[in-house]
Amino acid sequence: MRSTFLSALGATAFATLLGTGAQAATICFAFQDLETEFWVAGHKAITTTLTEAGHTVIERNANEDANRQLEQVNDCIAQGVDGIIIIPQDGESAVTIVQTAQDNDVPIAVFNRPPSDLSKGIVVVADNATIAEQAVDFVAQEAMARITDRPIQPLIIVGDLGDPNAVGRKDGFYAALQKYGDKFATPIEVASEWDAATALANLEAAVTANPNIDLIFTSSDFLFPTIRSVLEPRGKWVPRDQEGHVLMAGLDGDATACQLIKDGFVDATGVQDLYFEAESAMNAILAAIEAGETQPNQVIEDPGFALTSANLGEREMDMWGCVLLSEGFLNN
Amino acid sequence: MTALLRFEGLGKDWFGVPAVRDLSLDIPEGRVLGLIGENGAGKSTLMNMIGGITAPTHGRMLWRGQPYAPASAADARAAGIAFIHQELNLFTNLTVAENLFIDGFPRRPGLLRPFIDRRAMRDRAAEVLARLALDLPPERTLDSLSPGERQLVEIARALHHDAALIIFDEPTTSLTPRETDRLFQAIEGLRAAGKTVIYISHILADVQRLSDGIAVLRDGRLVGEGPVADFDIPRMIRTMIGRDLAAVYPSRTAPPRGRPVLEVQGLSAPGVIEDVSLTVREGEILGLFGLMGSGRSELARILMGLDPAMRGDARLLGHPLRGGPRDRIRQGLAFVTENRREEGLMMDASIRDNLTLPAIERLRGPLGLDADRIADTAQALRETVRLKAQDLARQPVRSLSGGNQQKVVIGKWLPTEPRLFILDEPTRGVDVGARSEIYGLMDRLAAEGAGLLVISSELDELMGLCDRISVMSRGEVVATFDRARFDERRIIASAFRQAEGDAA
Amino acid sequence: MTAMLTQPVPATPAARPLRRTLARALLSDWFVLWLTLAYFLILLPVLPTLGTPANLANLLSNAWPLLVVALGQTFVMTIGGIDLSQGAVIGLTSTLGAALIATAGPPEVLSKAPIWGLLIFEDGGVLAGQLWLGLLAMLLAGALVGLVNGTLVAWLDMPAFMVTLVSLITVGAFAIWLTQSENIRNLPDSYVALGKGEIVSVYIGPKEEPQIPRRQVHELVTYAALVAVTLAVALHLLLERTAFGRQVLAVGANRRAAEIAGVPVRRIIVLVFVLSSLCATVGAVLYSARLEAGRPTLGEGTFLLDVIGATVIGGTSLFGGKGKVLWTVFGVLFFVLLSNSLNLMNLSTFHIDMVKGGVILAAALLDVARTRLLRGMA
Repeated sequence: MRSTFLSALGATAFATLLGTGAQAATICFAFQDLETEFWVAGHKAITTTLTEAGHTVIERNANEDANRQLEQVNDCIAQGVDGIIIIPQDGESAVTIVQTAQDNDVPIAVFNRPPSDLSKGIVVVADNATIAEQAVDFVAQEAMARITDRPIQPLIIVGDLGDPNAVGRKDGFYAALQKYGDKFATPIEVASEWDAATALANLEAAVTANPNIDLIFTSSDFLFPTIRSVLEPRGKWVPRDQEGHVLMAGLDGDATACQLIKDGFVDATGVQDLYFEAESAMNAILAAIEAGETQPNQVIEDPGFALTSANLGEREMDMWGCVLLSEGFLNN
Repeated sequence: MTALLRFEGLGKDWFGVPAVRDLSLDIPEGRVLGLIGENGAGKSTLMNMIGGITAPTHGRMLWRGQPYAPASAADARAAGIAFIHQELNLFTNLTVAENLFIDGFPRRPGLLRPFIDRRAMRDRAAEVLARLALDLPPERTLDSLSPGERQLVEIARALHHDAALIIFDEPTTSLTPRETDRLFQAIEGLRAAGKTVIYISHILADVQRLSDGIAVLRDGRLVGEGPVADFDIPRMIRTMIGRDLAAVYPSRTAPPRGRPVLEVQGLSAPGVIEDVSLTVREGEILGLFGLMGSGRSELARILMGLDPAMRGDARLLGHPLRGGPRDRIRQGLAFVTENRREEGLMMDASIRDNLTLPAIERLRGPLGLDADRIADTAQALRETVRLKAQDLARQPVRSLSGGNQQKVVIGKWLPTEPRLFILDEPTRGVDVGARSEIYGLMDRLAAEGAGLLVISSELDELMGLCDRISVMSRGEVVATFDRARFDERRIIASAFRQAEGDAA
Repeated sequence: MTAMLTQPVPATPAARPLRRTLARALLSDWFVLWLTLAYFLILLPVLPTLGTPANLANLLSNAWPLLVVALGQTFVMTIGGIDLSQGAVIGLTSTLGAALIATAGPPEVLSKAPIWGLLIFEDGGVLAGQLWLGLLAMLLAGALVGLVNGTLVAWLDMPAFMVTLVSLITVGAFAIWLTQSENIRNLPDSYVALGKGEIVSVYIGPKEEPQIPRRQVHELVTYAALVAVTLAVALHLLLERTAFGRQVLAVGANRRAAEIAGVPVRRIIVLVFVLSSLCATVGAVLYSARLEAGRPTLGEGTFLLDVIGATVIGGTSLFGGKGKVLWTVFGVLFFVLLSNSLNLMNLSTFHIDMVKGGVILAAALLDVARTRLLRGMA
């Protein structure tokens, strides 16, 4: 953390002297934690962009404490910031914090985790179904190109269906396959409950019962290592340019998935477009500040995208997992 | 034979009060000297001077003819002096061998120097133990040994350090007769090996059996000295206590009035007290005399409800005593403990807070505590007990002298209007002037109708103060003496179980 | 005899006037308040935001709930104990209370929670609409934890550290299990008002302003302030003006002596732990109300550092026997100001916690110094 109050103070003075005052705003960026790879990337996306655009960023890390995040946002408001961007600890506290900011006439934007109430504040929401559909669509087309003589056998590892994210991802999977009618056999569903051990046991059983699986979609990238430990002993964990490759898609876009796509084992992963989300949140906030709006309410949908073996070259650096990977994250 | 250790006009004053005065004595090498005296006669002070814990204020010591002025316990040990106390300075979680070498383990050679050479340690420990003819396994941890065996380890450690003078201070209190015999054999062995021993004990028969010479202290003075043949036990006792009772005691103003306040019948707690029966009447001061470990303080704690009794019955004004201290205080008991600092006072709290603690629940006003009544109560108590203090509300008790602290411990009970006071060693660590005031206070309490049970290891005190004295030994009340029949020799003899006193 | 050795030799007052003055300042009840003011005034020129009405209002609003919890800790520390379970009690009672009085229960969030269909239904908690009963239930749950803590410490002579550490773990886990880690929203407005409701607000600025910007209206008196101040005054009277309070101090000063003097030591210990948990419960109300959700994870993490830190900085002794409500009030003020100023310097959370840790260490050292001074003086 290089920012001390002196340098922050200096930055403000500098901006004012240069006459960029009309444009330059002080933005409070309150994030929930930096402990996981995901947040590190999200944090960088925001601070770098804003600082480069000449704005002053006040960073606040709540260390996974919702109460502390509320106090930090209050601090920001007291300091007279022009706008607030938060990555909330959870949907519930996000609603309270948005309310607090709006009560004090400070525009606020939320991304990465939607508040439980989407009607207040600028809210950037990723649509799990759309993202899943994009990733599955890519592998479905690949499968159809490879297998023409029989119905293709797909398998989906579903998450905890009490989690709306898991439901959305499952819906996206079915929506993608539906388009191709009877070219696909009825998918095999494997329950994971978002738990690697459960996923392992159920996947073992499913693969033993149906050895001819052509396509696997996992509702989260974190299960790729699990899939590997099931497929490898059966000789089915092979890169896409070799015989016997099982087409594979996931969702989340973590560093492991990025590596696996590069190595050819995985074909696609759907990813929340963190950069898009950060950018939309920033732009919306800056626009609101510019327009003098104090309580902007807007839902911005993040369509996400699928990083695939085909577009790896162009879009690699849009996926946070690949950014971390390029910085040596997996080596640490 | 030259003197190993020699005292020349040795003296020690505590703030002008002499604890040891003008003591000159030779301790010849290779002999066992028996040192006896009442509690407070100056034995501990003398030992502390030898051990480098306190420095003498007068005179000097000579060790093998050279001036000896130890500045610390380490100096004394380096000179070759070892102490064997009742509370041993051993590590029960370590082995016998480790205990012997705790301040200098044999090391492995070369690069392995950080490691203990366990074999060398074991062998050398075995050698030291063999010299004492002790068949203790060096690898055993001490917590598996009996108190007697542990004491032998302590002796082995002294030998291992090549101590020339080994001082035993009441070593047999926690030993069984068999262990005591074994200890005595070890001491004989030390003498045979040319070591010098100072043996301090209340058990005069033991002193007589072990010693070559006897030295008797009283009031910090050496009042008797000579070969053991000159001292039979009656002479030892006579020399120890031989003086008139000083005029510090009040003449008992009011005679006991008769109605019993405390009646104890057949009270027993196995291993602590055995079938104790006694009565304290209104206005009476009953003394309880006994050696350490005789059960006198234990009886007090049981009466107060701090420790349980198994059998028997204790009544206060006819009502059975029940419950914990809180209930018994309500019934009319007050307890001045022997551990003023640990159990009697809140040392860092103010005098006022200490004085008003037991009766605090009586000092309520309509809205919580009544600050005026608290201040008034404390002020009145200050006058009653003649407390010398500047600021009751702010001065911490710690800043008072021992005598004034003790006045606080006694005074704090007065507002609860007790019917029976139990006072355990009420003048311990109190100077003569304050003593006399405390005695006067006790006399007044009795005159106002309370019963007093006074426990003391100072017989003078009890004889000067009490209407009757009961003697405890090994948990039993062995004799009771009326004031008219007080006889120091007989009282002490019954405490040592030399002869039975007459039951009153 | 050796006892006499440790008798302090009194220093003559005139001999060391500077030391004397310093000592008096250190021992003064108001020391931490002066420290707080000095810290504030020194930083003000460098950090002008610190003194803005908005920041001051903020500072106070952060102080109230912390004060409430720290008051309970003060009592426990005064008897020479420590209560590590306060954070877990906050998590438990805030969750339980929210479940009982919520006006609605979203099944997609809570249907897997063990309390679903038991305490909370789709149309709200079983005590929905009965705020006071809900609060009472919270207090009962909190008191129960305190009762268990106190009983184990007092009757089984277990160390408070161990007992409350176990409570911290088990009560915390139980709270999370209750809702399967979900937060409970839909709290009634009357409850939320306890945490955020304003009674008196002030506007500082030019009179002519046609429409006062809302962010320039600052809350001055809130329900949280009212609750905290009332509790502080009540507990101050309890500690200073009642036999119970004096006995609490006595137990902390010398448990053995207190027992022999007839103080119901065990009862006092149990009551003090119950009090501590009750304070944590009131804190739970304030915290959860301002977050508008019952959260099983409320009070986790470094929260305990804040509570113990503020109490110790105030001057309550870690060794027991010395504690004052007033000290804790100042300790909380200092601690909140410290956190706030570090935030305004835009230090990272890690740095802030490092500084806080250092300050608590300094406070603990100060406690040792005070004890020494007290023994050396007079």
